[in-house]
Amino acid sequence: MLKQMGFIFDADCCVGCKTCETACKNENKTQPGISWRRVTQVADHKYLSVSCNHCDSPECFRVCPERAYTKRRDGIVLIDPNLCNGCMDCVGACPYTAPKFDIISHKASKCTFCLPRQQMGLEAACVSACPTGALQMYNFKQAYPKGTVAKIEGFPDIRLTRPSIRFFPSKTRERYFLEER
Amino acid sequence: MRDGGNKVYRNVCPRNCYDTCSMLSYVQNGKLEKVEGDPLQGYTQGRLCTKGYAYPEYVYSPDRLRYPLYQYPRGSGHWERISWDQALEKIAGKMIELNRRYGSNLSLAYNKYSGNIGLLHYAIEGMFNSLGAHTKPFGDACLAAGKDALHYDLGKALSPDPESMAQAGLIMIWGANPAWTAVHQLDFIKQARDSGAKLVVIDPLFTPIAAKADLFIQIRPGTDGLLALTLARMMIERKQYDRKFAENHLFGWEPFLSYLQDKISINETSEVTGVSLQAMEKLASLYASHRPCAHWAGFGIQRSSNGGQNVRSISALAAITGNLGQKGGGMFYLHPSEDLFPRNLLKYARPLADGKKDREADINNFAERLLFFDKPPVRFLWIASRNPLSQDQDLNKWQELLRTLELVVTVDLFMTKTAQMSDLVLPAASHFEEVDLNISYWHHWLALNEKAIPSYYEAKSDLEIARMLTRRLKEISPGFSNFPDELTAEDWLAKEFTSQVYTAYGLTSWQELKDGPHKLRAKTPWLDRKFRTCGGKFELYSNEAKKDNLPALPRFSWPQTKGDYPLRLITPQNPYRIHSQYNALTWLSGEYDNVLQINPKDAAQRELAEGDWVRVYNAEGEIIKKVQLSNSVPPGVVVAFQGGDNPVNILIARTAADMGMKMSGSRNAAFYDTYVDCVQGRR
Ligand code: SF4
Ligand code: SF4
Ligand code: SF4
Repeated sequence: MLKQMGFIFDADCCVGCKTCETACKNENKTQPGISWRRVTQVADHKYLSVSCNHCDSPECFRVCPERAYTKRRDGIVLIDPNLCNGCMDCVGACPYTAPKFDIISHKASKCTFCLPRQQMGLEAACVSACPTGALQMYNFKQAYPKGTVAKIEGFPDIRLTRPSIRFFPSKTRERYFLEER
Repeated sequence: MRDGGNKVYRNVCPRNCYDTCSMLSYVQNGKLEKVEGDPLQGYTQGRLCTKGYAYPEYVYSPDRLRYPLYQYPRGSGHWERISWDQALEKIAGKMIELNRRYGSNLSLAYNKYSGNIGLLHYAIEGMFNSLGAHTKPFGDACLAAGKDALHYDLGKALSPDPESMAQAGLIMIWGANPAWTAVHQLDFIKQARDSGAKLVVIDPLFTPIAAKADLFIQIRPGTDGLLALTLARMMIERKQYDRKFAENHLFGWEPFLSYLQDKISINETSEVTGVSLQAMEKLASLYASHRPCAHWAGFGIQRSSNGGQNVRSISALAAITGNLGQKGGGMFYLHPSEDLFPRNLLKYARPLADGKKDREADINNFAERLLFFDKPPVRFLWIASRNPLSQDQDLNKWQELLRTLELVVTVDLFMTKTAQMSDLVLPAASHFEEVDLNISYWHHWLALNEKAIPSYYEAKSDLEIARMLTRRLKEISPGFSNFPDELTAEDWLAKEFTSQVYTAYGLTSWQELKDGPHKLRAKTPWLDRKFRTCGGKFELYSNEAKKDNLPALPRFSWPQTKGDYPLRLITPQNPYRIHSQYNALTWLSGEYDNVLQINPKDAAQRELAEGDWVRVYNAEGEIIKKVQLSNSVPPGVVVAFQGGDNPVNILIARTAADMGMKMSGSRNAAFYDTYVDCVQGRR
């Protein structure tokens, strides 16, 4: 592979505003209820924003009976909706629940890494919308950015699929709460 | 502009928000395909917020109102689609009938505010002004106390350019949560921190921005002013104030000093605010070592009976430490750029022949005031850009008022709580369907809003409605109004561009805004240390305040008594709504709509568990919410977010902050002086 594209998520910056989530819908026009990117709160104001991680060993790809999944030379994992038969195997297999099942089209769909935008020289919609710079695109064929770690609180096991995502963890901060708390 | 198969238009989100984002709208065959941030606007820098990106769903939401609707009887839910002609006929007919019955238009009232803060939405005010004497709201429902506070201190409430916060050495946020309400500010805060600045957040709630702060101090609600005064005392004692500034630019230094010495003690402050001595020490040392300091007073701290004093106390702190007029530092609250504009629609002159005076009703106390008016009583109410039945205080009075009205007309995009209780509902255009001009009260950008798509079904802008109704009125009764219904949106827009406006924004024609927003050419306020008060100094001691029966010095006084209920209710914004707007969308999470956030200790006392239904009540009424246990909320405080199906404002009695009379003629509601209790309930 020439590249392994993926994301860097900075947990220290993310404020959980879900701008990335909505920007993805605005760009990709997913059906109501289908979020290719999801933001969750894993602890008091500790957030996680996750889409497909364009894994090194994609489970989705392995389990799909129709061979609807491809892993491109730049590392991006795509699903071809024309081949998808709606069996939902990938939905169950992906540790990060990245493929979403659309009950209307009866097909799975997921993050495309905003390929059409990239072909126009633009960043992925979620990355360009994030107001804090918490989301970045990264080619993991390069050395990992200094200070990043493989896993943070709330992120599922990475051993199975080797996801293309690394994290800046939250720093500890000085806080004074009311004593009665 | 064009982009592939799309036409691209410039729009501005008009939703009464700090950020007032400039957006690019991608339109194909008349349909809004997607929105993007406008990269030419330097504050929002090509990004929107989560609500902004949801506009493609908002515009085509199946819940959007399409046609004029008539409901009989009011509140029954029996809606009938009618034509615009029929709607105008009903409205004009009633207006003229009431005019004949009472011999004036005083029985006609409107209530309009900030649902859309585009300048051409003043068409409603203009339309009513043109009827001669009528009944209208006055005052400021949001920010009046803080505005007055800064007026007493500075002579005019001006804030620095929020982009300049990037140059701060310390950013101190009191009761604002930009992570939810001003996301684009986060980039300027980040820039400052990347070059070594520290972020301090002081708030009763542990908010997302508090979670990011280098130092977070949780404080009891309503006591911010006391902490600010105590910090001032600490700075003075440690000789860490600006002696030269104090000598030359402060009025009232001596009395301020003696007030601090006599009345402010660190130990007592700790007891009242709940802030430990250690936390105060830490705050004082950060404050002294990092300069300049950007002090940001959020709107929340002035929503209590000592709200204005809270703001004055923080601004006094900023002044004595020489932080005013320092690039990157200063006092941030709001910037009234709109004052530069003539606002021709707002000020549209009435017919001269009419010698009568308007009746003005305090917007913070609107229903009660309207009920009070007699000879003639108010019988007709027009509501636009507002949802008072969700957002006003004293909602019980609104129910009473509705019973006395013969015709209630609401203009909105959605079937709001208020629309549900109207006789007639008129479908409003979204900002993509009209021309407008937008000015933020926070950042310094001016932007044009173009018409990007055809109207959604029969939706119309406030200006179009004003023009149509005026025409109908004139047809039935020539001379009934002097509103120039022939003027288009572009005509009104052009009138706003005086030579002063052109110079202020570096424009030679308003059409230049089609190529991108323009920024106000403003110097950092108070760079020259010339304040706009009578004596030209910053007034720690304000004679004007004294004349207005307020303390001359910023003083701390306890917020009003607790009444009979133990839990203080705070009702902030949630990230997926602005007040009661954006309800109907699937793209935006509804996770905060119907919850009551409560500290686990208070919950345990009441045997409440996560997800339980809970009845929240006080003497005003009750609502049902779902329990969300939260350590972000201190004991003794509960949080319910604004809007939703079950609006929390039913619990808010008639309250008032301490200031607001000076600049707005009325004191804003002290929303956060509300106390409640709660028990297990059932849905
Ligand atoms: S837009 Fe950025 S800050 Fe907001 S939730 Fe997504 S990753 Fe976090
Ligand atoms: S995140 Fe899930 S869907 Fe995406 S590549 Fe990995 S296994 Fe497949
Ligand atoms: S890269 Fe594009 S498709 Fe994937 S989550 Fe982000 S916005 Fe959605």
